[in-house]
Amino acid sequence: MVQFLSGYVMYTFSSIVVYIALATLLHLQFGVTGIVNFGVVGFFGLGMYAFGVFLIQYHIPYIIAMLLATVLTGVVALGLGRVILQLDSQSILVATLAIATVVEDLATSEKWLTKGVIGLGTVPFPFDLGPYSQVAYFLLALVLTILIVIYAYRVESSPYGRLLLSIRDNEPLAQSLGKSTSRQKLFFFAITSALMGLFGTLHASNVHFLVPRMVSPGVTFTVWIALILGGRKKVLGGLIGTLATIGLFDFVIETFVPIPASAQSQLMPVIKLWIYGLALMLVLMYRPSGILGEKKL
Amino acid sequence: MAEKKIHIKNVAKSFGGRTVVNIADLTLGTHGIEGLIGPNGAGKTTLMNLITHRLKMDHGQVVYYPNGEELDITSRSMDEIARLGIVKTNQIIQDFESLSITDSLLLSLSTTKYEQFYRIFSEGRLRDETKEQIAAYLDYFRFTDPNGHALSAGEKKLLDIIRCLALKPKFLLMDEPTAGLPEDQTIKVMDLMKRKTKEEGMSILIVEHDLDLIWNVSELVYFMAEGEILIQGTPEEIRKDRTVAVKYMGVSYV
Repeated sequence: MVQFLSGYVMYTFSSIVVYIALATLLHLQFGVTGIVNFGVVGFFGLGMYAFGVFLIQYHIPYIIAMLLATVLTGVVALGLGRVILQLDSQSILVATLAIATVVEDLATSEKWLTKGVIGLGTVPFPFDLGPYSQVAYFLLALVLTILIVIYAYRVESSPYGRLLLSIRDNEPLAQSLGKSTSRQKLFFFAITSALMGLFGTLHASNVHFLVPRMVSPGVTFTVWIALILGGRKKVLGGLIGTLATIGLFDFVIETFVPIPASAQSQLMPVIKLWIYGLALMLVLMYRPSGILGEKKL
Repeated sequence: MAEKKIHIKNVAKSFGGRTVVNIADLTLGTHGIEGLIGPNGAGKTTLMNLITHRLKMDHGQVVYYPNGEELDITSRSMDEIARLGIVKTNQIIQDFESLSITDSLLLSLSTTKYEQFYRIFSEGRLRDETKEQIAAYLDYFRFTDPNGHALSAGEKKLLDIIRCLALKPKFLLMDEPTAGLPEDQTIKVMDLMKRKTKEEGMSILIVEHDLDLIWNVSELVYFMAEGEILIQGTPEEIRKDRTVAVKYMGVSYV
């Protein structure tokens, strides 16, 4: 039992849970509010690295380092959002992609702080419970993710959610009805981005060793593919999409399908991308609003 | 005769070197319903957009008198101006694709108090507070599917007007309200408007090409051409005016 609760399975489950949270946060930003955040990994990675640096280089206590990293991510998002959120979607897409690239570059180049490609570690689990440390960590990530999903579910039927939808649908009209749309959008972007940072700090405990490869654009693409597959406008779109992509590949196929060791590292990533691409094409062609979305009319 | 609501001083706006609005001095809202007429391109919509600050003026000053006191709204944002009570309905159909009729009204009736990211449990309270108002609107204006979305262009236009009314404006600007609205609804809208101006002291400025409507409902009419208010007067006076006849009716009103 303990064997099962530690190691590879728990690692994979924790990753999936973190990705579900990211996809649900992206649902709130893009699906609900219409903010095209193409730099998910920027905020995720900023939280992850800031946490690692605070914890390992500056020996700040675990929970405080976590909170500081989350707040820092929120502040960066606030600054960035102030500059870009009133621009058109394409500009927001490019600017967020750019900030993610900046984060990845800094993680690589600022060796005195991040130890570059050698890696920054070791980040321990939040609770030291001997053999149960990992499962305790997983449960923490799970609870936080469930809270995010519940929030997304509740906000959908609240006055605040209605305001966010009105901003997505027709921002000038919402503003003409007395809604301070730019402030609300900025604030929401900062909070949801900060939460992406929080899940970055959580992920740091899962991987133990932070290397720049972990904050490559691949993370953003995976989260986007998951959300689009699942249904961007649906609360559970991120969850279903994540299970159908990383859940299926990184857990089900890798665990239960006998793949020769030689193919494992060479062939699998290629096949995975190939199938992601195919699935994305099929969904966009036949179910543009995702697995959970309504059928094409 | 009511107190003045808006005073426009020396306001100008030009697009690419062409002056679209140029008004030296204009006082609005001294009568319940006022009409603003003029040929296409006279600058009527632009003038309204300058008042609500959807467009930025090149120079000038707009002063608002919400409760008698003076308030300079020249550099206030559009949403602030709307919260102060100056609201404009749209000429071109505007809607929120994912909001039903009820949602649209709830959006209008909700306030910043409820629209906070942590207030995810306040829907019930908002619905309780606004239940009667929404029922009253949906009872007065009949929609094909009151629980669903506004279906036709006419319904969307009507919803646009109701959304603005739900904000309880002190000064309502209506940009061609009858364009696309079925006649029976137009009559209902105008009846309600007359009542609001009498009972609640709301002031209305209507831009409209349907001149019969203007003559019928307005107490004062402004005639605008080439960015300037040329004449103002009672419907009778404007109707007989030669400049109006030449510049407007003779040319573009058949």
